[in-house]
Amino acid sequence: MATSMLCRRTAIFSWAIRGVSPLKSYNPASSHCGLLHQIANYNPKPLKLNLKDPYIPDRESEKTPEWQKTAKYDRKLFGRYGSSSGIDPAKLWPSHAQLEEMIAEEREWNPPLQVMLKNVEAKTKEANAKRLAREKLVAANMAKMPKMVADWRKEKREAKQKLKDEKARRERLLAEARERFGYAMDPRSPKFLEMVSEIEKEEKKKRKLMKRRLKEEQSHLPPAASSAASSS
Amino acid sequence: MSFTRKPGGKALDILQNLPRISLANLRPEPGTKKAEKKRGRGQHGGNRSGRGHKGERQRGNRPRLGFEGGQTPFYLAIPKYGYNEGHSRRAQYQPLTLNRLQYLIDLGRVDPTQPIDLTQLVNGRGVTIQPQKRDYGVQLVGEGAGIFAAKVNIEVQMASEEAIAAIERNGGMVTTGFYDPRSLAVLCKPVPFFISGQPIPKRMLPGEDMVTYYTDATNRGYLADPEKIQKARIALARKYGYVLPDISKDELFHMLSMVKNPRQIFFGLSPGWVVNMAEKKILKPTDDKLLQYYSS
Repeated sequence: MATSMLCRRTAIFSWAIRGVSPLKSYNPASSHCGLLHQIANYNPKPLKLNLKDPYIPDRESEKTPEWQKTAKYDRKLFGRYGSSSGIDPAKLWPSHAQLEEMIAEEREWNPPLQVMLKNVEAKTKEANAKRLAREKLVAANMAKMPKMVADWRKEKREAKQKLKDEKARRERLLAEARERFGYAMDPRSPKFLEMVSEIEKEEKKKRKLMKRRLKEEQSHLPPAASSAASSS
Repeated sequence: MSFTRKPGGKALDILQNLPRISLANLRPEPGTKKAEKKRGRGQHGGNRSGRGHKGERQRGNRPRLGFEGGQTPFYLAIPKYGYNEGHSRRAQYQPLTLNRLQYLIDLGRVDPTQPIDLTQLVNGRGVTIQPQKRDYGVQLVGEGAGIFAAKVNIEVQMASEEAIAAIERNGGMVTTGFYDPRSLAVLCKPVPFFISGQPIPKRMLPGEDMVTYYTDATNRGYLADPEKIQKARIALARKYGYVLPDISKDELFHMLSMVKNPRQIFFGLSPGWVVNMAEKKILKPTDDKLLQYYSS
């Protein structure tokens, strides 16, 4: 819409002021929607090549500075003055030795497209593999978590229970000592310790007797059971 | 033949007969220019001349910017973090909005009947690129996608999806191409380069970090497969909900389908050629090795 409005306005303007147009009116043969399209090129900066009075340094003389005898300066001379600068155009391109250097440098620093794509693919693959491995590890560890949590909780519970049991045992022993000796004695004294060892021995004997009885019962039972099974 | 009245009439007559506009005939619109206060003169500009009363303010001895009277200043209290680390090594792409592009086309600064290149944009003073300041080119930004109405063949260095959609909706073509810094300098200022007498260099391929961007059809990369690009065009049209115009039936199809070779910097000029501005001639190398190098 804007373009068409502008086109119409510029068309009227150019028609009215025929021949006095500061803009370069470019009338393309295939203009869209058949309207005049003006291209306003900026007037380029004047190319001051100084062709009438060129300075071309004297190559043989000693007075000309060294930098005016270099290949770079020669190229610039040719660029400014063309063939009238008296420079062989073949010197503009790199020599064979320089070309070899350029090719070697390019081969080192600018690998071809296929090589680059392969490198990129390898890098992405490696990164993906690393990420996958890490994620797998994390998932495995997370799967172990419930069991680890339960174990830890059990341990804590058992430790607490153990402490409670210890305390209860110590209380019982103190009460036992109190009963036996008639006064509250220090649990660290030798008498107390003797009493404790006695109690333990009695406990051990009891346990051994219990075990023996259980074994006997078990040894009695199986032959009876097997005889019963074989008979029936 | 009936008499045709000139449009504009008397106003146009006056306009044509008035003298040429010069600085002597011009003055600013009343109310636009406000007279500045001359310090040290008059009732309002004089006395303390707007410097305040005694102290550092009047005597011009204020401490440096950021100083907070001895308290650890804000710019030192905040710890450093690597936001700006390596900022001077990051590639920069000057944004080009579709608003600006439309403005340039409307004013005639950029020619839509020829392929639009970074050279054309710089010639029309549409963007300012500084290749020496880590600028790697121009990026097309989707601002103004709603009003964009121009059929162009544009080549930029990066483009957002919205911008690509807006241009393709109007029957245009977008391409994203990479220019290494030397090629970019040559592209932005071709005439000084031609005057230096060097042969046109060949464009280098992007580094590994940008290769994936330019081989992707969704970015219309210049290294991507043309068939994939066509598929991407159709997919984008479906995504944004517009009918993709068939540019092969267009009268400007040849211009719209012009794409540069990955090693080419200018349309119509190959690497290895020397352009001479003094005699308006192009010199081409004939040596086999040189030809092989420049066409590799």
